[in-house]
Parts: sequence; C-alpha cells; structure tokens
Amino acid sequence: MMIVDRLLRDVPLLKVDDTVGDAAKWILASGAPALPVVKRDGRLHGIFGEREFIAAIFPGYVSELKFAGFVRQSLDDAIQRRSGKLLEPVGRFANRERIAVKEDYAVAQLAETFLHHRVLIVPVVDAGRQVRGIVTRSDFFATLVDRASPVPPPSDAG
Amino acid sequence: MLVAILIFATALAFIAVERGHRTVVALVGATAVLLTQTIDQETALHAIEWEALGLLAGMMIVVRLTETTGVYTYLAIKAAQAAKGRSFLLVLSLGAATAVLSAFLDNLTTILLLVPITFLLADALDIDPIPLILIEVMACNIGGTATLIGDPPNIMIAGATDLSFMDFIVNLMPIAYLTGLIVISALYFFWRKKLRIAPEARARVNELDARGAIEDPAELRRLGPILILTVLAFFVHKPIGLEPATVALSGAAIMLLVTRQNVEETLASIEWATLFFFVGLFVMVGALEHTGAVEQLANGIVDVTGGDRTAELLGITWSAAIVGGVIDNIPLTATMIPVVEQISAGTGDDAYWWALALGACFGGNMTLIAAAPNVAAAAMASRNGHPIGFVRFLKVGVPVTFFSMFMVTGYILLRYA
Repeated sequence: MMIVDRLLRDVPLLKVDDTVGDAAKWILASGAPALPVVKRDGRLHGIFGEREFIAAIFPGYVSELKFAGFVRQSLDDAIQRRSGKLLEPVGRFANRERIAVKEDYAVAQLAETFLHHRVLIVPVVDAGRQVRGIVTRSDFFATLVDRASPVPPPSDAG
Repeated sequence: MLVAILIFATALAFIAVERGHRTVVALVGATAVLLTQTIDQETALHAIEWEALGLLAGMMIVVRLTETTGVYTYLAIKAAQAAKGRSFLLVLSLGAATAVLSAFLDNLTTILLLVPITFLLADALDIDPIPLILIEVMACNIGGTATLIGDPPNIMIAGATDLSFMDFIVNLMPIAYLTGLIVISALYFFWRKKLRIAPEARARVNELDARGAIEDPAELRRLGPILILTVLAFFVHKPIGLEPATVALSGAAIMLLVTRQNVEETLASIEWATLFFFVGLFVMVGALEHTGAVEQLANGIVDVTGGDRTAELLGITWSAAIVGGVIDNIPLTATMIPVVEQISAGTGDDAYWWALALGACFGGNMTLIAAAPNVAAAAMASRNGHPIGFVRFLKVGVPVTFFSMFMVTGYILLRYA
C-alpha cells in the first residue's frame, strides 16, 4: 500500500449553509482538526477547523491586533459579549486558500502545502472537485516519523 | 500632448472608479506613454522623483521595524487611559494620538494600528465604535498634514522642492492642529449620545495593561534611540545638509544593522505596490510636463485668476481638495506639482506649496476613496460587522472637508495673501 493511500481519511463534509455551531460539533465528533466545506453541488468550497472557529467566535479585531499582550482577563467578558456567530453559516468563515490536492498527489506536494499554509488538513478532490477525503497534518507527521525511524535490528532470540 | 492627456485621464478614471489595482493602472499608463513615444525613456527616468521614493521607502522600513516592538500601541493605550473613561476626553485623546502618530508615521500604518484597539476600547466601554473610528480617520488625514513625512502629498512636495521639515511644521502644523481640534470636538458633539460611557464601564479602559503592549522590550531598547534620533534629524536636516530621504534611509539602514528581525521579511513587507504606483504616476505626469500640457494648465489657472496671487492660492487649494477628494490625492498632487512649479517659477514664493499641501491633504477626508486610511478603516469596520459605506462616509467627509477648507481659506488670507 502506498503512503498516499494510508493517509486518506474519510470524514463527514460540512455544507456552506451549516451553522458555525453545528460545524464545531461535527468537527469534535469526527476527531479531525478541520473538515472540508462543500457547496450545494458538492464541490469543495474551503475548509473549516479549529482556527476558523476561533476566528469566528471572537470579534474580527482580535486577529487584527498586532499583539494582544495588553488585554487582561477582566476584559474577556466585554470582548466575548460581542460574539454570537454560532448561528451564522460556516461558509462565511471557511478558509478558501487553494490547498486541495488531486487523488494522484505526491507526498512532496503535501509537505509543501503543510509548510506554506497554516492548515491542519488538506482535502483530496477528484477532477470535478468532489471531496474524496482528507489528509490531516498529524497523520502525515506520524507517517513521516514512522518512515524516518531506523529499522530495528533483528532480534537474536528465536 | 493629446495622447499624454488621454492616457493620464483614462488612468485617473480607472483609479477613481477603482477598476483594477491602482498600481497596475499607473504602470500600464506609464508603459503606454513610453510605447507611444509620448515621452522618451531618458526623460521618463528623470521624471521619477527619487527623493520622494527614497523618503517613502526609508520611512516604511523604520515604521515596519519599530511597530513590531509595540511602542505605538503603548502610546495609543496610554492616550486612551489619560481620559479616565470620560467620553469627551477619550475622543480628544484618541484624536490627538492619531493626529500626532500620523504626523510621524504613514497614515495607513496609523489607522491599521489604532482601529483594532479602538474596537477593543469600544467593546470595553460598551459604546458604538464607528463614531470613534470616523473621528480617527479624519484626525489622521488632518494630523498627517502637519509634517513633511506625515502624508504622501507632503512627501511628494518635499521631493520636488527644497522645503525643509521645519518649513512644513512652521507653515502647516498650526492650521492642521487647530482644524483637527475643532473637527474632533465638533464630531464629538454630533455623536455625543452614541459615545456616552456608563459610569460602571469607565474603569474598564484602565484594565488594559499598556506595558503589556511592548511586545519586544529588547528590540525597543535597540531601535527606540535610533527612532528618536531619526525624528530629531528631520528637524535639523537642512542645517546639517541632509535631504529628508537621506535621513529616512540612514535611520532605516542603522535599524537594519542592529535589529534582530529578519531583514528579508522586513524589506518584503515594504509597500512595494505604493512605490510602484508612484513610479507609474511620475512617468505619466512627466509625459504631461514634457508635452507642454502642464504649462497649458498652469497658464489656464493664471488666466482664470487674472494673475491675482490670492486667487491663485485659493484656486490651487480648493481645486486640490475637491479633485483630490473625488479621485485620490496622490495622482492629484503628482499632477499639481509641475503646475505649481510653473505658476511660482522664479518667485521663490512658498505659499503656493502650502496651498497645495493643505488642499491635497485635507481633501483626503472628503470621500471613502480619497485616501488610503479611509479605505483601510472601512474594510476593518466591515470585517467587524460595522460597515461604513460610501454614502455614510460622505455624510461626514464632505462637511468636515468643507469646514477644514474654510479654515484653510482664512489661514491663507491671513498669513499669505
């Protein structure tokens, strides 16, 4: 079995109209750090994961602050009271970077994508951009560690 | 001449209606005047104001390196805390901080730094953030007028003349800060109900830890003294025989020498699009100048005003404000510089430059597209669920611009007529 086959993970797909709150529950249930978001015709729209959820529930200016070391805990309530994006469609907050790979992707392409984009999953799509599964960064890491580990010497016993 | 005018007018129209990136439009326009041989390559090269580009690039590096220390955020928080939660003082101190920062940083950086903090303050104080942000934008465009490095039109004028940093301060700072003070106060009274802070919320602004804003104290210790020396050098650049661009680039070079930040990343973060926008504009305006179009425009102004100096000054400042407000004050200034050079040729009369600077900078408040900080603030407000549309901005921008220009008119009549 090729490394690319071992990495492919089958996951539920989010639809652009699903709410942010529902999407977060699906992510937790799937065990993946993010899930693909698909349009009504099933084609890939983007991905939504832990990072996008954090961006959705905090006011937009939090990500625009250069550094938030001056915000004390006592202001958390004031900031979070502006939240309320849980009922908004997940499609608005999806990461739309072009990170999807085709089914015949090379391992080097995955490495490049994970190095250049701050994403935790890469969707795998077919020629019609229908999602076939995902590769998670943690699965990729585990597989690389496994491949890079020296082969243990054969045991004398037996 | 007709080709040069046609290409320039088309480029301006594309910039005004925001069809295509303005840098691409300017570069395509520059390419067009070169390919049509409206201007030869040698003349085009000389038309580029390298002094202005050097000053812009140097200040961009200085600002990029120092903003990572958090020192500007620290100053903004301290300004807000000085108000002790009282709404009028908060508006005044934030407006003043914006005006002062924009006089020494570029306007866009000032707004990008202050708007997120303003949203946070508004949440902490439970008030509408949009009046505060609009006040900051107005204060930014007015405050930037005060110095040679505060606003692109001033940088361009400095690049084309031998006016010093102190000349700009002496001639522009009094009217800029007086106008700013009145505009900020008037806008506060207009929005005072939306800006009312509940007594129980007042203390929250003091819960911000200003010292915590200093992200990299060691870097601040390295760069802070160079920043101060660079600003001081601007004040004395003429007596010590240095051009403003030399001061800015020297400050930038010394900072790059001592910083621990990645030099390549710092240089990549320069607004290259802005610099190339200027290059394209300078070449297109060079074609207008080369073909005699600028001379005709200057003669036209002199004819209309009958050669009356006061009428010329007022004509330049009002047309700069209105035309710059409708299109973009950078191409307007690029066009007007050779016109003003023609009108004031040989007279040694600097008043024309102050009329142009005041009109071009104050006109930046008129519409949403008139200046870069307006667009940036509106984009950030929209991302935070508080869209500032073109018309909403216009309702504030037009009265502020006209009031500011009446102030300028009085100032010109009193001081230069």
